[in-house]
Amino acid sequence: MSASKAARVGEEIWKGRVDKVNAELVVLTYGTIVAQLCKDFDSDYVQVNKQLDKMGYNIGLRLIEDYLAKSNTMRRCSNFRETADMLAKVGFKIFLNITPTVTNWTSDNKQFSLVFEENPLADFVELPDDGRAQDELWYSNIFCGVLRGALEMVQMQVEAHFISDVLRGNDTTEMRVSLIRYIDDELPPEDD
Amino acid sequence: MSYYFVIVGTEDNPLFEYEFGTSKAGGDGQARFPEQARHMNQFIVHSSLDIVEEVQWGTGQMYLKCVDRFYNNYVSCFLTGGNVKFMLLHQPPSSSVSSTSNPRSSTSTIATNPMSPQTEEAVRAFMLEIYESWVKTIMNPFYRVNMEVRSPIFRQRVAAAGRKYL
Amino acid sequence: MKVFGEIRHEQVKIGGESGKAYSSLRSTDLFSAAAIMGILALIVINKAGGLIYNRTFGDGLNQLGTNDYLVLAGTFHGVHAITTRLSPIKPQQQVGADGIPGRPDPPSGLEVLETENFWLQCFNTLTGTKFLLFTDTLQTNVDIAMRKVYDLYADYVTKNPFYQLENPIRCDTFDRKLNSYIRETNNAR
Repeated sequence: MSASKAARVGEEIWKGRVDKVNAELVVLTYGTIVAQLCKDFDSDYVQVNKQLDKMGYNIGLRLIEDYLAKSNTMRRCSNFRETADMLAKVGFKIFLNITPTVTNWTSDNKQFSLVFEENPLADFVELPDDGRAQDELWYSNIFCGVLRGALEMVQMQVEAHFISDVLRGNDTTEMRVSLIRYIDDELPPEDD
Repeated sequence: MSYYFVIVGTEDNPLFEYEFGTSKAGGDGQARFPEQARHMNQFIVHSSLDIVEEVQWGTGQMYLKCVDRFYNNYVSCFLTGGNVKFMLLHQPPSSSVSSTSNPRSSTSTIATNPMSPQTEEAVRAFMLEIYESWVKTIMNPFYRVNMEVRSPIFRQRVAAAGRKYL
Repeated sequence: MKVFGEIRHEQVKIGGESGKAYSSLRSTDLFSAAAIMGILALIVINKAGGLIYNRTFGDGLNQLGTNDYLVLAGTFHGVHAITTRLSPIKPQQQVGADGIPGRPDPPSGLEVLETENFWLQCFNTLTGTKFLLFTDTLQTNVDIAMRKVYDLYADYVTKNPFYQLENPIRCDTFDRKLNSYIRETNNAR
């Protein structure tokens, strides 16, 4: 599917087939989770990042089914570039009504960045000013887990992490996604 | 006119403080409290809290206007739904007070007369703008009730509101 | 790939005398009367070949034993895997519009099985879950029904936080929604 068609599909599903929910409710719910994690782990932000990723992973495993059903996807993406477009223009669109920009491809087409111009999870958020959160906490790390979980269910092993966040004072919010391998059914060794 | 703005939490604890001066009528936005009286500001506002608690149930309004006066210091108050108090102490420059015999005189500007209807309205607008920023600030998931507000963004917004209305 | 063909009782006895389970697969055993119409049964198989859901719709349908259903699911899973390898046509390397070599589409494997008495449609999701809808041979729009079932699954099963993925589906809401949808479809005929 071409990028422009993907954008159209995303728009259509968002308009017609998605229940909407109050944005503040989402922001506050997610914010409470992150803040509570920070408290529970005594501001060990490395652990908090890990937990957020884990939660996202479990969401991704389930969310992919909803994505496939809603988008009526019947065939898999023919390459990783198509996957990236579908993620940004259909996935993020239908679940969060945002379309991050796909950019910074490596020449082997196995790594790209998602640049978030807006981030509905991070409205109102200012990181704790304890001098460490700014350097250690990836507030929206749940996204990384969601991508990892969802793509694993459709036979793609990926690695995803944030490399910048406006909450930390960076100019952009950028996530790096790398394809590790396609998990194809392993053929039993042939008898010769 | 010099201003001292403070947000008081539900346990009468200060959450946020900011001093500024008028930007109207050629003001440079700098507070000009007399050095020997500056430390009194906190006490004056604190003592007005008793009056706020008396008045707050009477009007049903969030903006209580000017609730207290101590010599040349006037204290206005705005209450949020959660009973957080925005207190604004205003102090006209001492020279202008002596020249203004009638505090209700219609010719006075915000810069000089703390009791005029124009001042009342300007303070209302100022408070409402801060109220909006305040709501956004306490929506921050890392903010807990009655915690000191250290957000630089909030400080900027208060400063901007001060420049705009006062 | 579509497998068409009249499967008679004798032919379906894949396992021979070795297993009672296989003999139960005879089509007439499963759905006895022509009076029963529409969508007759749904089976969901997880990606490991385990049975996670089975329901029949309407009265008077033959039921298999629990164990037989499990064997049926596992067997079907195996057969499906075999059919993905049967295609005589080599998958061709696809090149995307942007000139990047892509993954070839995976072979679909068995999609439809038609017999004298019933029609079985299999929908294999991209995540590897299989939905098997049994209908009578005259049922139309099975694709639409399949989509709807998948929608309900996505909504009421995977989004139920207490449902453990890949495990048997015990979700009341899913049952209710499914039943009312099937009843509606069957009554419309």
